[in-house]
Amino acid sequence: MITCEEFFLEFGDYLENRVSPEVRKELELHVSQCRVCQVLYDSSCKTVKIVTESGSFDLPKSVSDPIIDRVMARLRAGST
Amino acid sequence: MSFLRAVQLDDKFSPFVAFRESLGFVPNLLRAQTVLPRVIEAHTKLESAVRLREGAISRIQKERILLIVAADRQDTYCVAASSRALSSFGVSNRQIDDLLNKYGHENLSAADLACLQFCLKLSRHAPSVQAEDIEALRAYGFEDKSILETVFVTALAVYSGTLSVGLGPEPDFGARKITSRRVDPPRSAAVHAFLPESHGAAQRKGPYLRAPYLSPKTFSIIHKTYGFIPNFFRSQTLQPDLLEAELEAAGRILLPEDVLTRAQKECILVAVSAANLNSYCVATHCNLLRGLGMSAEEGDQVAADYHLSSLSEADRALLDFAVKLGVRFSGFSRGDILQLRTFGFTEEQILECEVVVAFTNFANTLQMGLGVEPDFEPPLILGQNKVHLSAPPSLPMERGSVAPSLTAMQDPDAGLVAQAQTGKLEAFEELVRRHSQLIYRALVAILGDPVEAQDAMQDALLSAFKHIAGFQGRSKFSTWLVSIARNTAFQRLRGRKEVESLDGGEYEEDREFRPRQVRAWQDNPEQCYSKLEIRQLVESGILGLPAKYRAVVMLRDIEQLSTDEVSRQLGLSAPAVKVRLLRGRLMLREWLSPHFTTRATS
Repeated sequence: MITCEEFFLEFGDYLENRVSPEVRKELELHVSQCRVCQVLYDSSCKTVKIVTESGSFDLPKSVSDPIIDRVMARLRAGST
Repeated sequence: MSFLRAVQLDDKFSPFVAFRESLGFVPNLLRAQTVLPRVIEAHTKLESAVRLREGAISRIQKERILLIVAADRQDTYCVAASSRALSSFGVSNRQIDDLLNKYGHENLSAADLACLQFCLKLSRHAPSVQAEDIEALRAYGFEDKSILETVFVTALAVYSGTLSVGLGPEPDFGARKITSRRVDPPRSAAVHAFLPESHGAAQRKGPYLRAPYLSPKTFSIIHKTYGFIPNFFRSQTLQPDLLEAELEAAGRILLPEDVLTRAQKECILVAVSAANLNSYCVATHCNLLRGLGMSAEEGDQVAADYHLSSLSEADRALLDFAVKLGVRFSGFSRGDILQLRTFGFTEEQILECEVVVAFTNFANTLQMGLGVEPDFEPPLILGQNKVHLSAPPSLPMERGSVAPSLTAMQDPDAGLVAQAQTGKLEAFEELVRRHSQLIYRALVAILGDPVEAQDAMQDALLSAFKHIAGFQGRSKFSTWLVSIARNTAFQRLRGRKEVESLDGGEYEEDREFRPRQVRAWQDNPEQCYSKLEIRQLVESGILGLPAKYRAVVMLRDIEQLSTDEVSRQLGLSAPAVKVRLLRGRLMLREWLSPHFTTRATS
């Protein structure tokens, strides 16, 4: 079985689902037998899911529209 | 005697000792490289592993491949060398002549003949190699290990052939006659003509060969230098010895900076690979150029036509020389070396350029022969040309190509941009409303302050309008808008006393990061908090990241752009984006852990 260090070297691509079937097989075997890496993998997947679905830094139209309106008004008035 | 001066090397110089032991002499091709001993070491590593020992295919099979590829290239030096080797293995003069002039002889088995035809196809026009060519070899009984070695030998034939053209060494033995008119070997179909009738070649994508798992430590030199392990190397794991020799050769040729710079060598790799229609190597090395500080657009331009790039006149002459030697070699002569010297290049630099060209041809041949899947999206110039998947042969780019503008199909903003560029304000307004979220997030990513980002948005939009006429469509409009936002944010940062840097080594300290929180998380941790609470947690976590990680996480995970888009927008290489993304995600995981572990939520 591969070591935790080797697992960690492949970890970024594993999270991105960008590993070949041969590499995946090794990583899955490691995760099934190493509790620490299992926690790391599970919680990292959940982190990515939570972050991507959080809707963070959504700029409401109520905020962006007035900014754009001000800019367009300046452009229409011919002063940049 | 050769095109470059020779330097006397110690009798105990280990590559020469190795050649004396295996061949009984030191080939003139090696002696022609004495101004730069490390490239002789590289060449010897490849020769020793690929050619000079029995492997999955025999020495005779290897020399036959080397001979016919050399004959096909009209390369009298390499023909003489392989003819001599075949004679020493008991192959008759008549059989050698038949190989030279008919690419086969009557005693060859159908399998050996099919193998030679495959090698000719690969060396002549690698993009035309397809999965079914590999299936054909399998049907003849070749195992994957043998096929991998066959591809390696062909690549070595191209490597030595390139150097033979570029260095002009005296033959080590009497020259043999090669038919002056190049005889066309049977075309690709003929490979299949020998197939058993039951064979049905399955159409499939690469990688063509089995590649067992090897520890990433095997590739440590590559990982350390480039920050990732390209699929190219992972596809060769069936023969670890060959892979190791290749890695060592690459280390001696590509990594040192004492003669040509890394950027010059990467430009050679890009320009020659583009001329060979190898989108895989172009994409990889454009990314590495980005890691060395060249913009994505400039890298694309080197691939499309370096004559129109902003490289110096000398560097463009270096690439002219490289492409001629690598791809249009029939017109190459000593005069090309003399001409390159007029640009101030030394003999060491010219030799290193030739060796990088040879290695590019070697790598291009391997990649096409193995059907290696891309690590990155190819640049626009080759985006439509999936040459690694056996596109029909097409001509190399005509000189004078500019990295093309994106069409409306590739950039949905193209129509509105054209109108906005004529001063139509409605079109500009539509564009900025469409992308306001992206601009805002790019500003937050760099400024780390949502309120200031809202404030900076107005400046960014005015700046976009001011400069839109100069937008040439070589990147997506959204990418360009982010670059405007980025510049606006940097101007503000410069006004601050403490500036957080987006720069920093490409791959650097990030590998050392280790997680501290190892308590298991809840099954659906986000259900324990309201949406607003989750959002606030994530936002404060992201704002707490160092700028260089925050920018990548914002664009990749919040804005959900692809790795390639993030890399272009931030002016980083894709490997650097991957490293920073992982580090940023792991830091966020540490931040979120106390809230989501079993104990926290129970």
